[in-house]
Amino acid sequence: MSNTTSSTENSMLKITDLHASVEEKNILKGLNLDVKPGEVHAIMGPNGAGKSTTGYVLSGREGYTVEQGSALLDGVEILDLEAEDRARAGLFLAFQYPVEIPGVSNLEFLKSSVDAQREARGEEAYTSAEFLKVAKEACKQVNLPLAFLKRGVNEGFSGGEKKRNELMQMILLKPKLCILDETDSGLDIDAMQVVANGVNSQRSPDRSFIIVTHYQRLLDYIKPDFVHVLSDGKIVKSGDASLAKELEAEGYSWIHNEPADELEGDLL
Amino acid sequence: MSLWLEKAIARANSTSDWLSPIREASLTALKETSWPTRKTEAWKYTSLKSVERASLSTGDLSEQETPEEIAGFESLNLIFRNGKFDTEGMQQALPEGLSITYLSSASDALKQASLNEVSQIKPERHLFGLVNDVLVEDVIRIEVAESVSISQPIRITSLIGLNSESHTRVYVKLNKASSLTVSEHYQGNAESLNTGFVEYEICAEAKLEHYRFALQTDKAISIGGCHFKLGERADLNSTLVGFGSDLSRVDTDIIYDGEFANAKLNAFYLLDGKELFDLHATVEHAVPNCTTLENVRGIVADHAKAVFNGRIHIHRDAQKTLAELNNRNLLLSDKAEINTKPELEIYADDVRCAHGATVAEIDKHALYYLESRGISRSKAQVMLNFGFINELIDQMPNQVLAEWIRPQIRDRFAKMEVTR
Repeated sequence: MSNTTSSTENSMLKITDLHASVEEKNILKGLNLDVKPGEVHAIMGPNGAGKSTTGYVLSGREGYTVEQGSALLDGVEILDLEAEDRARAGLFLAFQYPVEIPGVSNLEFLKSSVDAQREARGEEAYTSAEFLKVAKEACKQVNLPLAFLKRGVNEGFSGGEKKRNELMQMILLKPKLCILDETDSGLDIDAMQVVANGVNSQRSPDRSFIIVTHYQRLLDYIKPDFVHVLSDGKIVKSGDASLAKELEAEGYSWIHNEPADELEGDLL
Repeated sequence: MSLWLEKAIARANSTSDWLSPIREASLTALKETSWPTRKTEAWKYTSLKSVERASLSTGDLSEQETPEEIAGFESLNLIFRNGKFDTEGMQQALPEGLSITYLSSASDALKQASLNEVSQIKPERHLFGLVNDVLVEDVIRIEVAESVSISQPIRITSLIGLNSESHTRVYVKLNKASSLTVSEHYQGNAESLNTGFVEYEICAEAKLEHYRFALQTDKAISIGGCHFKLGERADLNSTLVGFGSDLSRVDTDIIYDGEFANAKLNAFYLLDGKELFDLHATVEHAVPNCTTLENVRGIVADHAKAVFNGRIHIHRDAQKTLAELNNRNLLLSDKAEINTKPELEIYADDVRCAHGATVAEIDKHALYYLESRGISRSKAQVMLNFGFINELIDQMPNQVLAEWIRPQIRDRFAKMEVTR
């Protein structure tokens, strides 16, 4: 299994001994993870294990303090970077609760985001007309009516529409690493399928995914290469897609009864 | 009292015409009113020094001075030049059911009828409303016949020249089940003084879409008001946009006269330099079952000062009233000042009311969301600050006016510096 290699050369994301806290409370307590290009990793775990924190810490949310450790995105240390620069380096976090921003049009938001990426890559910003074409295409891809481009960012969107809007951003921003934070929460089966299809369409040999989820059901639609169980700020068990099924059947409690250190060592 | 006002009153005393009954009554009231000082509640934060100092004469206003073009706004245009109504504007063909009358040239019967209507909606407590009563030379009367919907908006523009004073007065009556859009525009930056008051009588089931663009800047002193009386099931949707000047003040009054009427008032102001903008908004819920939604927002930069007083008075009989008042302000500098005072007076027991006034901080979660997409912090702050006001532009029912004012707001906003 590729996770056993210690080489960082061809890792898309390599997290080593990451400790992080929120309001002086330690949440991540030595997280290790190695994601190769093109791989899909699922992180599962009970509430409070640090799943969402992992996404926030990696994306640079204010108030999340890194105590020690490193995270290399395509060989670049991102933990010292501002949130905006992490995004420019190719990291994308699909939010569990996308923020509503009335007064800022979705189109302006999307264009500013894409322009920032293009600037980082040394490309010219789109003209408004060019971008409108690109955005309309992306809108169609995620099955959102074009009127959603004119509305305020996520303003009055339903849960499913917000998740599709996140997906649209992912499609437009072409990130190297996508972290999906509980993307399935609040979605019915149909909406989940739309989102899963969108994610699957974005899978490619040079793009990696981390899917953070509490439930196994999303993984029926997005097949992970690896499944990790996060508990008390550490990965305590790793396996292939079948691990998710086991968790679904057994619940998280059986994990705690196993010797975690040994399993974790397997990852290093 | 200011020297200017003494002179003006002397001038008014020698005028005699059909408006004399109103003029004399207001003159009496004015003489009994003491000139405001810092201790006068209604003028506590807004100094009248610039009015006291104003040396005004009948200044010049170029004939060529015209209202700013609004692309795509196909309005009926009423223009005041230094307070004088431009009768050229009266040559326009009017849609059926709409009448616009320059009252001094109206029939005696209409003059007589108007004496019972003009100055009845505007509350007497407004000092400069009294000043306007005394100094105004004529009144424009706009009337929409019963059950008529006028789709073409009416635009009222007040132009003023250097060292001039201008006092304008409009009375608008929407008869039962009629509808109308009126957009008031006040512009200019030359040293001058303008008082502009408009009274709206919105009868039962009638619908008014209203805008006031108080866009005077620099030395242009502007003090005025819009006053609305709503009949049963009447509907008012009003948007007020304010830029600041040495002294810019608007008083709005909404008076419910019939049940199940609704009013929505959105107001926003952007102030920079040493500008001042003062909004006093009063709502009188005198009858049951009416709804008021008031949303007031401001961005204040540099040494500018905003004053907001929002009073909602729910009378004893006004059960089932729903009233919300919200004032949020964004201060871009430590020297910028906001004086906000929501006043809720409730004498009925079965009402739903909410009010709030805040100095808004930028939403950190929204900021992070934008940054997480690669947008720089400075750019994200600009987007959010502008979005704070843009949200209210988005709510303007008239898209043409929204697209006209949006770039002006954007320009004004772009010039503001964030220093805190």
